[in-house]
Amino acid sequence: MIEIRKLSRSFGNLLAVDNLDLDVENEIFGLLGPNGAGKSTTVMMLTTLLKPSSGTAKICVYDIVKESKKVRSKISYVPQDMAVDRKLTGRENVLLYAKLYGIPDKNSKVNEALEMMELSDRAGDLVSTYSGGMRRRLELAQALVHEPEVLFLDEPTLGLDVSGRKKIWEHIRMLKAKGMTIFMTTHYLEEAEKYCNRVAIIDKGRIAVVGSPDNLVISIGEDTSLNDVFLENVKTPEEQAGFNSTQFRNLLRRR
Amino acid sequence: MRAVFYYFERDLVKWLRGRVTVISSLVMPAAWLVFVGLALPTKFTDNYLEFITPGILVMTMLFSSLQGGSLMIFDKILGFLNKFLAMPSPRESMLYGKILFISVRGLMQATVILLIAALLGVRILNPVQIVLIYLTLFLFSAFFSALSTMIGLYLSDHDSYSAVNSMISMPLFFTSSALMPYDVMPAWLKTLAKLNPVSYAIDSTRMLFEGGIPVQGLISLTIGAGIMVILGTYQFRKACV
Repeated sequence: MIEIRKLSRSFGNLLAVDNLDLDVENEIFGLLGPNGAGKSTTVMMLTTLLKPSSGTAKICVYDIVKESKKVRSKISYVPQDMAVDRKLTGRENVLLYAKLYGIPDKNSKVNEALEMMELSDRAGDLVSTYSGGMRRRLELAQALVHEPEVLFLDEPTLGLDVSGRKKIWEHIRMLKAKGMTIFMTTHYLEEAEKYCNRVAIIDKGRIAVVGSPDNLVISIGEDTSLNDVFLENVKTPEEQAGFNSTQFRNLLRRR
Repeated sequence: MRAVFYYFERDLVKWLRGRVTVISSLVMPAAWLVFVGLALPTKFTDNYLEFITPGILVMTMLFSSLQGGSLMIFDKILGFLNKFLAMPSPRESMLYGKILFISVRGLMQATVILLIAALLGVRILNPVQIVLIYLTLFLFSAFFSALSTMIGLYLSDHDSYSAVNSMISMPLFFTSSALMPYDVMPAWLKTLAKLNPVSYAIDSTRMLFEGGIPVQGLISLTIGAGIMVILGTYQFRKACV
């Protein structure tokens, strides 16, 4: 579904993404990393919003630079910001996307997407009256209305309460079960460990480690979690300055 | 190019649902016409209202078109631009949708001004001239709304856009032929006014009010709008975030 080969992107002297190699199949794939690691830049390149400095990537066999329009017809992108029109109703928001994607049977597809996201009851209300969780689900309904093959989600559960996050994950799992490939970024490692089929940890633009959460956790020892895998592979500015985080963590465990 | 209409429809519905914005945008230009047209003491004409009406019409289109760039800024800041750019519909349709919305909104304001001007005694024109006034104002708006939308695409915050907007709009208006005819202007202002694109639209509209057909003005405005739309199309096609 997604083939990334030696993909790089620099901004002036800063190498944001450095020779990235990755293959993603029909799965829920999580790209994890600290702030500024290159997660969003990678997603921007894959969604054709940013041109790579070098390297290639293909989505559903189409090149992201040479065949960008075909790529865009196969994907949907839900950014971090909750970009839904507050002065339009939920239905109008989804209908706009159905029209822009040129879907023939717009109304039935819109109803289907709203129902899938459990928003049918409130579809006629202005979005300004929706909760954060409902707005996020509305964004998913917009993204699903043209039945994409690959769905890119940038921090899909950011700023949501526990029940809102659980609901979003249930929907993401359902989409995967329907055959959709999900490529997402998140800072919530517990969620990634529980719901992603595979994750990659990226730091300073390079993939530090990639695999299933279970295998990655097992690889570093007993009684560990994806948080430990993350800390093992990502060097914070403090650690780079000589701070021994392992010793500090062991100290905390003893207490 | 159905996407153009969908983007236009989105902006129009959102604008119409903001009642305060709608009322203020329709009342403000009318207030300008009444207070400037009736209150300013002038010696070069005995009917200043008739002289100033074309200036107020073009000024309204100018301010409305330049303000329109903030629509793009908000789409960018709030994350809509990313979502729209990641869709398969032609990216330039976003630009055309904005130009269409900004121009239609400006023409609605112009209609209010024309109605009030007629009520205050400005001569009623024949239908051909009214259509040509709308065409002149539309071409002028296409020029400046394409420019403002392009500027909005490159700036990242609303404050910067407001600064650019003020820097462009006020000098353009005050160095145009809106407030006084060329023969009473000082020489330096006359030179600037002759070069100013705002004067092209005002002179053309004024000629239409006087019963003439401004062929040269309409051609110039068509060429100007065409160039600006072509530049905008190029910018939007290669747009990234």
